[in-house]
This record gives sequence, C-alpha cells and structure tokens, in this order.
Amino acid sequence: MTDSAPGSGGRDDPAHRPDGGQQADASTAAGELTVPARKSDYEEAASEFPSMGSIRRWFVTTNHKDVGILYIVTSLFFLVLGGVLAWLLRIQLWAPRTPTTTVLEPLAYNQAVSAHGLIMVFWFLSPFAFGFANYVVPLQIGAKDLAFPRLNALSYWLYLFSGILFGVSFFQGGTFAGGWTMYAPLNVPTFTPDVGASTAVLALTLFVASVTVSSVNFLTSMHTMRAEGLTLRKLPLFTWSILLTVWMMLFAFAALLAALIILSSDRLLGTTYFALESPAGSMLWAHLFWFFGHPEVYIVFFPALGVMAEVFQTFTGRRIVGRKWFIAAMVLVALQSFVVWMHHMFLTTINLQIKTLFMITPIGISLPFDLMVFALIYTMLKGKIRFTTPFLFVFGALLLFIIGGITGVFLGAIVLDYEFRGTYWVVAHFHYVMVGGVTALVGGLYYWFPKMTGRMYDEFLGKLHFGVYFVGFNLLYFPLFVAWETPRRVFDYSAGLQVWHQLATVGAFVLGLSFLIMFYNLTKSALSGDPVGDNPWEYATTAEWAVPSPPPLENFPGLPTYRDGSLGFREESTATDGGVATAEAATPSAAHHDEREEHVSHASFWPFVVGAGTFLLFLGLSGLRDASFPEGILGSAYLGTAALGGVVTLGSLVFMGLEPFHGPALADGEAWPFDGLEYGKVGMWIFLASDVVLFGGFIGAYVFTRVAFGWTLWEPIPENPVPGLVNTYLLLTSSFTVVLALVAAEKRNRPGLVASLVATFLLGVGFLGNKAIEWNHLFHEGLWLSSNVRASTFFLTTGLHAAHVIVGLVVTLYLAARAWRGAYLEDSSSVEYFGLYWHFVDIVWLFLFPLFYIL
Amino acid sequence: MNTKLYTVIYVVLFVSATVQVLVEFAGLAYWTAFALIIVLSAMKAVLVAAYFQHLRWEPRSLTYLIGIGLAAALALTFAASYSIL
Amino acid sequence: MSTTTTDVGLDVLAQTGLIPRGTRAFVFERIFEVFLALGTAVGVVVIGYMLYNAYKYRAGGGRGSDADRPVLGELPTGSGGGRKLFTSFFLSTVVVISLVSWTYGTLLFVEEGPEAEDAMEVRVEGYQFGWRFVYPNGHTEDGTLYVPRNESVRLVVTSDDVFHNFGVPELRVKTDAIPGQETETWFRAEETGNYSAQCYELCGAGHSFMTATVVVMEPEEYEAWYESTEGNESETGNASTTAGATAESDLGGALVEVAG
Ligand SMILES: [Cu+2]
Repeated sequence: MTDSAPGSGGRDDPAHRPDGGQQADASTAAGELTVPARKSDYEEAASEFPSMGSIRRWFVTTNHKDVGILYIVTSLFFLVLGGVLAWLLRIQLWAPRTPTTTVLEPLAYNQAVSAHGLIMVFWFLSPFAFGFANYVVPLQIGAKDLAFPRLNALSYWLYLFSGILFGVSFFQGGTFAGGWTMYAPLNVPTFTPDVGASTAVLALTLFVASVTVSSVNFLTSMHTMRAEGLTLRKLPLFTWSILLTVWMMLFAFAALLAALIILSSDRLLGTTYFALESPAGSMLWAHLFWFFGHPEVYIVFFPALGVMAEVFQTFTGRRIVGRKWFIAAMVLVALQSFVVWMHHMFLTTINLQIKTLFMITPIGISLPFDLMVFALIYTMLKGKIRFTTPFLFVFGALLLFIIGGITGVFLGAIVLDYEFRGTYWVVAHFHYVMVGGVTALVGGLYYWFPKMTGRMYDEFLGKLHFGVYFVGFNLLYFPLFVAWETPRRVFDYSAGLQVWHQLATVGAFVLGLSFLIMFYNLTKSALSGDPVGDNPWEYATTAEWAVPSPPPLENFPGLPTYRDGSLGFREESTATDGGVATAEAATPSAAHHDEREEHVSHASFWPFVVGAGTFLLFLGLSGLRDASFPEGILGSAYLGTAALGGVVTLGSLVFMGLEPFHGPALADGEAWPFDGLEYGKVGMWIFLASDVVLFGGFIGAYVFTRVAFGWTLWEPIPENPVPGLVNTYLLLTSSFTVVLALVAAEKRNRPGLVASLVATFLLGVGFLGNKAIEWNHLFHEGLWLSSNVRASTFFLTTGLHAAHVIVGLVVTLYLAARAWRGAYLEDSSSVEYFGLYWHFVDIVWLFLFPLFYIL
Repeated sequence: MNTKLYTVIYVVLFVSATVQVLVEFAGLAYWTAFALIIVLSAMKAVLVAAYFQHLRWEPRSLTYLIGIGLAAALALTFAASYSIL
Repeated sequence: MSTTTTDVGLDVLAQTGLIPRGTRAFVFERIFEVFLALGTAVGVVVIGYMLYNAYKYRAGGGRGSDADRPVLGELPTGSGGGRKLFTSFFLSTVVVISLVSWTYGTLLFVEEGPEAEDAMEVRVEGYQFGWRFVYPNGHTEDGTLYVPRNESVRLVVTSDDVFHNFGVPELRVKTDAIPGQETETWFRAEETGNYSAQCYELCGAGHSFMTATVVVMEPEEYEAWYESTEGNESETGNASTTAGATAESDLGGALVEVAG
C-alpha cells in the first residue's frame, strides 16, 4: 500500500494538509495528471490566460516566471524603503548628536535602525534573490513550473502582505525599536510597549510562513522535477546555490518561527519566556535567534554566489575551475552553518569549552569560501572576458566580498572579536559581505533582464550605474572600517571620527542615487529596448537561454532531456507512463473535468485572498496585550479585524482546495534522492522535517529554561499525570484509527473508511476536551500562561501541539465528508498523507507527555 | 501490510505508555527513571514512524530527511544548554 | 583542548614573546596590528592578481583560443586548473589557521585573568540608561568607576533591566551586561586619567548616551578615596540593589524624560 508507482497519485483533495489546505495543490499537482500531448494544448492554455498587460493577470497568476517578476519588483520597492531609512540614519550621523541636536528623536532613530535592518535582510535581500530563483530555476532544471504553482503564488502574497503589515506597524505608535537582532528582554512590551512593535513581530512571522511554504515547494520541485540526465551534480551552479539556500531556509526559518511564535506569545498573550524574571530569557533569545541568524547570512549570500558563478562562466567564456569542489565547498558551508551560531555570543556567559568550539567552527566555514573565491579568480585565466554590465557587477561583488572576507577573519580571533563586538567594524564587515551580495544580484538582474523582457538594457547606462554604484559603495562602507571605534546604533560618537562619518553619508547618497540610473534604464528598456533573440550572451550554457525571450508560459517546446549529454527536447506524449490512466479516473471531481480542461492551469485567485485574509488576521491580533484586546472601540476594531481575517483565510483555503487546478505533470526525469515518490508525499515529509525543527525549538527552549532554572528544582505544572496519560491513550488510538482508515480505503471499503475517520475525529475531540478540562482546572488553581515561566512553557508548548491537533481535526472532518460521498477509494493518497501528519502530531505528544507531566 | 501487524504495534504502544507512567511511581532514582522514560518515548516514536508512517518501506532518504531536522533541533538544545552550565 | 603538551607549548611560546601578554590594550593592539598588516597584504595580492588577470584576458586582448568554449545546452562541467586552486586554498588555510591559533593562546591568557588575590573586584550594574558600580565594601557609585593605576580590576557585570554591554574602548575591556546573568572580565590601566565607558548593545531610547567615566588614580589617592567611602555604606549599599529608578542624575535618564 505504501509504494505507489510514480504518476499514479491521483489526489484532488485539498484539505489533507496540516496547514489546512495551504498545500492543497499538492493533490492536483500530481493528481489529475495529464500531459498535454500536443502543442495546441499549450497555446490554448495561453489564450485563456490574461495577457501580461492585464492587471488581472498579476493577481491570479501562478506561473513561476510571473511570480518571479512580482518578487523582483516588490523587493526593489522594499530596497527603496530600506534605503530611505538608511539615508535618515546617515543624516543623523552627519555629526555627533546630543539630545538637543538630533534630527531623528532617539526612539525614532532606533526604529529606523531596526526597520532598516529587518527590511533589508528579510523583505529585500532574500526575496530579490528568490525572484531570480522563481524565474530561472524551473528553466534550469527543465520543469514547466514548480511542483505546487498555487503555493508559489501564495508564498508571494504572504510575502507582500507581510511587508505591508510591517509598513502598517509604523503607524501604530511606532514600529519595533529593538534592533534587527531583537534582543530580549528589550523585545517584550515592558520595554517596547508600542502596538507597532507587536505588529512588526507578527509581520516577520507571516514572512516566515511565506518562506516555509516556498521552501517546501522549491525542495520538492528541485528534487523531483529535474529533466532526464540532469542529476544533482550536473545542475548549473545557480540552481545549486538555490538548492542549498532552500535547504538552509527550511531548517533555519523553522527555528526562527519557533522564536517568533514564542515572542508573539510573550507580547500578545503574556507568557514570560523572555521576560526579565525568566531565568535566562536573554540567553534563550540569543540562542534561538542566532541559530537561525547565522545560516541566514549564507541564505542571503548563496544566491549571489550562484549568480557570480553563472555570470563568470558566461562572460569569461570559461567553465568554472574546480566546479565540483565549488559545489562541495557550498555543501560544507551549508552543513556547518548550523553549528557556528554561538560565535555571535562570545561576550555572554557561555563557557570556555563552547567558546573554543565556536571559534573553530566558523574558521572551518570560512575556508570553503576561500576555495570558491580562488575558483572564480582562476576561471578568468585563459578566458575571453567581456566587461558587460552584469560582469562588472559580479566582478565588483567578488572584490567587495574579498574585503568582507578578510575583515571577517579578524572577527574569528576571539580576542579581537571581544573589542569589535558592538562596533562599526562589525557594521562595515557585514555590509561588505551582504551588500557585496546585493552587488552580484544586481549583476544578475542585468544578466537576466533580456530574458525576462525580451529586450536589451542600455549598456552605457548600465556601466555608468556600475561606476557610480561602486564608488558610492566604497565611499559609504570603507570609512566605517576607519571609524570602527564608533559603537553600533549610537549617534553620539567621538568628534574625531566625524570626517569619516561624513564621507560615509556622502557615499550613502551616491550609492542610493545610482539606482535611479538603473530604474530609468530598465524601465525605458523594458518598453523600448532593442529586441533580443533566445540568447544574447555568447557562451551562456544554461537552458533558459535555449528558449525564447521571454519564454512561453510552459517554457519548453517539448520535454527537455539531457539523455544525450546536452539539452534536447522530446515529444511529450512519449513521456507518459502507465500512471496517467489510473490518475485520470482517480476521483469523482476528476471525472467531471472534461477534456478541454486537461492542460496545466496557471491562474488562481485564491492565493491572493488567503494572503489578504492572513494580513487582516495578523493586523487584528496585533492589538492583543496579555491575552485581551484594549477596552472600547479600538479593541472592538482589532477584534473585528482579526475575526474577519480568520474567516477570510479559512474560507479562501477551502475554496482554494475545492477549485479544480492542474499542476504540472509528474516528471519522469531525475528525482534523487526521492525516486519513486510523488510530489505530495515528498512535500509532506519536507514540511514535517521543518515542523520537527519548530517543535525542536520549543522543546529546546523548555529544556534550556529548565536547565537555567535548575533542572530538578522545576516541578511539572500538572500535579497529576493521569489526564496526560489518558490523552496519550486517546492520541495513540486515533493514530491507530487513521491507519485503519487507510487500510479501509485501500480495500475500497467505504463504510470502514468513513467510520475510521469519524472515530479519529471523535478521539481527537476527546483529546481536546480532556485538555480543556485540565486547563480549566489549572486556571482555577490560579495557574495561567503568565503565572511564571514554568506555566508559560507548559501552556504554550502543549498549546502549539493542541493547535496542530485542531488543524488535523478540521482536515479529518473534510476527509470524512468527502469519503462519505465516495472519495479516496480509487486513490487513497490523501488519507495516507494526512496520516503522516497525524502520526507526527502523535509522536510529538509522546515526548511532550513525559517532559511536561512526569519528569 | 495487514491490520494484524498494526494492531500488535498499537497494543505495544499502549502498554509502553502505561509502563512509562509506572516507572515514575516505581521509586527509582530520578536520573534512572529519566533515562528509562526517555528511552520508552523514543522507542514508541520509532515504532509509530516505522510502521504507522511506514518509513520502514519507504526510501531511506525520507528517514534521513527527518533525521537531519532532528539533529539540528538536538544540536540547538544540547549545545545551548551546555553553554550555560 | 588543554592537555599538558599544549599548555607547555603555549608557555614556551609565551616566553619567547610570540604570544603577547600584558594589559588588555597591549594585547589587542599587538594582535590587531598583525592582522591588519597581513590582511592588507593578502587583500592587495589577491585583488591585484584578480585585476591583472581581468585585464590580461580581456576579450580582444589577443589571448586565449576559441577552442573549447562553453556551448549552449551542454551539461555543466568544470575547467582544469585544480592544482593551482588547491595550492592557493592550502596557503590560505595555513595563514588563517595559524593566525587564529596564535591568538588562541592570548585568549586563554585573557580568559584566565589575574589571580583572585591580586585583583580588586567591582560589580557593574547596567540600567536604562546608566552604569552603577558597587565596591566590595558596599559603596555604590553611579556613573563613575574609580580604580587605582597599575592594578588589575575584575569586573562582575550584570543588568537590572535589558541587555546592555559594558565597554571601555581605550582600555580594551568589554562584556555583556545581561539581566539575571553575571559575566566577568578584567582590565589594568597603566596611566591615570579619565576614560569613557559606553553601552555597546542597543538598549532603548537612551542607548547613545548610556555612558560612564572610568577614573584611574594613583594607588595612594585611590586608597584614600576608598577609605573615605567606608562608614556611610550601610544605607547606600542596601539601596544599590533597588536603585534602578534612582538614576535621575544620568544624562540618558534625563534624555528619556525629554524624548518620552
Ligand atoms: Cu545599554
């Protein structure tokens, strides 16, 4: 029963997902699987789809190329926003300021510092890179689209709305003012009481949701949809860099999600994880944040590295020297990135053994970068280098990165790090690295611009942009090394450093204004530049240059294959395998889709609505403080907004699930290491892996807090383990009934299936009911979320688990209703995937029970 | 794969959950009981994953995938806790 | 890590003067200079080499044949040149590892700090937005730290409210001030005078002005001052634990009044 053949997965059930159907098109993706046999299908598809010029197109599109363009345009908007904030900072730093001579009030300065960091790191850098990833990766791997196109659109809308929500936070008394690192306990309402600070945290949480959806989607696609012959080691370097980036994202952002949920709970519900009275709240935040934060450095830098490699190869006309070592180096960095986080905490109370260990690991991670830099430099030898705009930018990026890297080695020596901590040395260093990365990505924008628009940018203006940009960059950041004694986020620096700060401020304006040249150039060229053919760049090798500019909706003229050692296209019909027939008759809803709907879908309005719904929901929740809304009309407004948002989110998810949508067909190319598994199953397991880290973060937070408190001094909150034991029985039994449901579905036993699902539902309700009684009891004993940190960890961790149970029950109800009408008997995979989720929730409880009830 | 196997697994899980609580009341030294209880939890988790989530019959890559997530979470938990000891 | 052989090795290195020992400022300057010199050298060589080759192999520069250029649609492969790559990689590894291991000896020296009996101890308490210094006799000073010249001072640093960081840049001493935690560090000042201390972790509206003064005095002068603080300590000493709100004299505190 478990080993379904590839292509036979006909699941059209939207709500079998833990996230309530977010990944609904997992089902349809491989579900009503139909491979368009004729080119006319594909033209037909195009004709029903609004044209590029239509506004509607951009709200409904699920096509990876459109989504890529949306990401790029939106991220550039956030670049401008973050840049304007940076200008404000640099104006303030024109002279040392006393309290009476500030331009920005101190708190406003802190807000600008924090918002600048958050916007640039989260809402500009990664999304800018993921614009390219969306556009280019499917082309480079030979796929028509990502595995779950609607989830891709959903990622974008969650991203956009999270950014808008962050913008709203400025108008709710002021946004978050505790720095982008959000150190505790400055991050709790005791010290940052503005509602806007809560909104900023929620906006970041929503952004993380977008990243998680996107990571699952990219990983599933990149592992299972590669063209024949395109094994992992044959992937182009840009795609490799994205693959590793997404893997890091999956785990790192799950840890950040744990941190942010806990922080949101501290801010909105009144738990006390990070509060002043928590035994080690400050340290807990630092661990959780940097466990995410260090991989994040590579998450934002890797795509730039990938762009550098692609552009170097094209414009030097030489293949990358030591390509396989380049890949190996990236893999090593990605793995090690999770064991270096404490080098951000050398001056905290961590012990010497840990300091030694976390001095060694960052050195270990810096060495592979040396190799990559040398590989790029040696690639130029014997080349035929053309100094076009893209090459100038990546060449400049490499130069900047070398400076960033060398100054980073200084920080690797702990004795120096002690003194650099909290100074402009750190600021200058990471701007050289991160904005160095931006430099490469700007090169990528010029590189792929002709592909995306079909027109060439103006080369002279491009070079001019580079010249002004490069001068501005160094004028801005290099003086900061000289003025390194300036404490970070301080505007009252010593007068002797003023000249350097003034140079930097001039540089900031030069750098910022250089983008006007780019905006002018690209806008004008997009409308009236010289048209280009498929491939304007001599020596480009990757598949996106083998198709028209811009590529047609479904990318390729046939099925891409590398069987013969280079790119070719096969007739699509030959690609079908036995699975298709099975799939077509899969479910009732599939049966009534008539023939003309067989092509791949590209439009869905629901991702946008889900995004809007979550925006309202989170905006409403921002008004919470200590688990209650403020009195009066304002409180009612927040409550109403939250309720409306909740209804819209849930409703649109259901509609999205019920909507007939055909994702791209299950490919028969390379799928290592997930050969023979369907998209849906791979996606579910990848999601569960990130959920492991989410719960891991929660359990880690509990263990850490308890260790700091004194492990054996800590009494479990429930005095009696029996209610917990009863709940263990209930959940174990419900796992068993889910297994019975699957067995029944496979035996085409409808009553058995329905009965098992209903039993599961009732057992889950029993679990929640029992928990409600227990919580009510504790509440009456005077124990609640905010009582103390023991109670906080108990209620929040088991609460997160209960939330997973509730989502599972909603899905169970949906499955039971569909099963009643005869679904899942032909194809039981929805039941199977739901089961994976439900058993996972069961496993989590198997650990929560002893940790919170008996130990 | 048949119902009988699943039933056996279910019974084992049910019993070991009960044993887990009995260990707590058996009056063992704290850390002995701790070790036993955690081992029992881990054992149950492995059973659920191997049989109910049928990882036993899936490509090993899925097991490794979850293993990597677990390793990351454990690294965070242990290194962070150790750092403040 | 600290086997006897490495300890012996480090001692030998220290005796030869390779591992700098002395005040925090001395140690920092020495290491920083070496890093700066080497870093600049490496940077100039690598960037110079890069620019030189970019010019040398420019299109139209008449070098490089057109044979074996990348072709559209090919499966990616790498170019040769592995030996050169590994030589450079090996060299950079040697430089980085030797530099950092060299500083590790100093780290052990810094971490060990002065012997307890040789050092006086002061407790430093950060608060929004100032610094309080509590002496062993219970005397509490707000905003000024008095220390004798040429004596090692051990600081035990904590915070009343949010995460701060206490640093005296000229004396190269710095450590986090974390609520509920105590970090330790030490320094020794060789010259009398006034030094400024500063907060190095964003802590709220008054962060920019969260400063204190470190006054280094001649030992006799310090002794006299310290004697004079005896006696009137019973109240101030007790008050120090709850003194978070009594920071009115502080510039940062005043600022918040203005800005708030
Ligand atoms: Cu401070």
